[in-house]
Amino acid sequence: MSSRLRSLENRSIYILREAYAEFDRPAVLWSTGKDSTTVLHLCRKAFFGEVPFPVIHIDTGRKFREMYEFRDRLAREWNLNMIIARNEDALNSGIGPEKGKLACCTALKTQALLKCISEHDFDALILAIRRDEHGVRAKERVYSPRDRNFRWDYRDQPLEVWDYFQRATGEGTHTRVHPILHWRELDVWEFIKNEQIPVNPLYFARNGKRYRSLGCEPCTSPIESNAATIDEIIEELKRTKTAERAGRAQDKEKAFMMMKLRALGYM
Amino acid sequence: MEEEEAKIVFVGHVDHGKSTLIGRLLYDSDSIHDERITEVQGLVEEFKRRFEFAYFLDALEDEMREERTIDTTALMFKGKRLYTLTDVPGHREFIRNMLTGASHADFAVLVVSADEGVREQTKRHLFLLNLLGVPVIAVVINKMDAVSYSRDVFENVCSAVKDVMRSIGINDDVIFIPASAINGENIYKRSENMDWYNGMTLIEALDSVELRRKSEKKLRFVVQDVYEIASCRVVVGRVASGVMNVGDEVVFEPSHTHARIASIKTAERDVSTAEKGDSVGIVLEASDSADSADSADSADSAVSAVRRGDVCGHAHDKPVTVRRFTGEAVLLEHLKTGERLNLKVCTALVDAEVSEISTRIDSESGEVLERFPSEVKAGDAAVIVFETEPVVVERFSEIPPLGRFALLREGKNIGAGIVI
Repeated sequence: MSSRLRSLENRSIYILREAYAEFDRPAVLWSTGKDSTTVLHLCRKAFFGEVPFPVIHIDTGRKFREMYEFRDRLAREWNLNMIIARNEDALNSGIGPEKGKLACCTALKTQALLKCISEHDFDALILAIRRDEHGVRAKERVYSPRDRNFRWDYRDQPLEVWDYFQRATGEGTHTRVHPILHWRELDVWEFIKNEQIPVNPLYFARNGKRYRSLGCEPCTSPIESNAATIDEIIEELKRTKTAERAGRAQDKEKAFMMMKLRALGYM
Repeated sequence: MEEEEAKIVFVGHVDHGKSTLIGRLLYDSDSIHDERITEVQGLVEEFKRRFEFAYFLDALEDEMREERTIDTTALMFKGKRLYTLTDVPGHREFIRNMLTGASHADFAVLVVSADEGVREQTKRHLFLLNLLGVPVIAVVINKMDAVSYSRDVFENVCSAVKDVMRSIGINDDVIFIPASAINGENIYKRSENMDWYNGMTLIEALDSVELRRKSEKKLRFVVQDVYEIASCRVVVGRVASGVMNVGDEVVFEPSHTHARIASIKTAERDVSTAEKGDSVGIVLEASDSADSADSADSADSAVSAVRRGDVCGHAHDKPVTVRRFTGEAVLLEHLKTGERLNLKVCTALVDAEVSEISTRIDSESGEVLERFPSEVKAGDAAVIVFETEPVVVERFSEIPPLGRFALLREGKNIGAGIVI
């Protein structure tokens, strides 16, 4: 492993072990995408072969078929303690992105997660966001406190000097833990290659297109690409000038959409 | 070179052009995604504003509306090597965010506007960088276009900055660069308006910095937790300094446990050595020189006292537990003599009492405002004597990772300091 990847991994493992020591009921969020699968792999490294807490998958009912298949296969192989979180009421009411992406993401993702957290009383959620994905995520802390209403008070984030992370306090609050905040997209792919981490086949090009970032099927578009192997993806990323989330429609509906989504508790 | 990452924080007074400078650097080096350029153009139209390079960094609607940076942003940029460029707010009310951004940096760049010169946050940021132990590598005298590219103005501002640095006690080897971020002069490209300046551009200055990561000799392994893996107790943590080898005789403090390192574990395999920065697990066995000298000591009882918050060092150079130490700290909230709070030093969280406030220091000028005051105010710095539960600390000047602490009140980080 390169010294860069080793130092990224060392820091991530340190953060994961801090969270495991400091929280009573942590859980990790898994979208089945490359970043959260990398975090699961890092958990298995930090805890010597197992993920010692529940793995939450938010099911909007609108994910790609390949994501469900990949999820179920890996959940079996890695012996994951899965929790599938769905907002059944919203799904039954027929909500969809056609009526507004902010409302749809908030109902099917944020509200589903909120319900899941309160049911299971989780005090920490481990999430695979990275600073280089989006300007708003670039402002995140390693530990990010959320209030009982799930809100992210981005105007009043805690002092986080050195590795002195500050957790949320008070009933009904939880802390978002971000173990790969300091990684780049390229680092993730180099790590996947090095560690031979399984990835969803949707990332690899078919007929001149591939998915660079995975979300719900209606709001995720593939990019033009012929990168059909991990090596080709790495080469592509070294040259690209396109943003990783270019194919994710919910960020782009209107100005500061990502900030609004995240202030409400979106990941 | 390819893999080396330099973390640089940009500090300075509000409106002196930190965000513009970083935006310009990213733009000129072709590091901004096409979508981001389109997005910013859209925002400029929507908000009916003139285009600003700083908008590439603004991610909060409030930042765009208020035309100022509220919270720290860390952006990655690939130059001759990989950089993380951290932008921090230049307002006094956001010191918390400035400290958060600055504490992770290897180096700092100070931005001073040529037309305004040294201002309040120029001084405060220099003082705080010095307290956190972050060296300044370059001072950019920005907005040279606003002073007709005058060499005299540049030299006057430089000498004012040098005076401030001297008074705070900063002796770093600093490069002064006359620049105009808005026009992209002496940032990524050389200016044609300042032929009197033959020194480096900002990017050349950044690329020329040698990353000399301090490697201390003394072993300090910080314990995060103890896991039971296949009925074997594994002590997990991070090597904060020095090197650890299988077979080493070690001592854990404050639990005062003597042991020998039987194996060092990563997830996949056992290794024979671990060095600074490594997150590893260690398995211990009874030491020959254990104080208890009980030959029947099993491996498990040798390690049973080791706990989160312990620090491990070699038996011949062991960590020292203290119940009292002196630190210099910056406070975000007021603090009184006799007050009880918590201190965090690496993974140790201990109860402590403010035994004495030796001096209250102006975090702008670095001047001592009062000796032995009964309290310090929010935004002040202070030299404080703490009485604590047993904890391992080291002087910041000797082993930095063990010389840094946070002050906590009801679980909230209210200050940061170093052990002096």
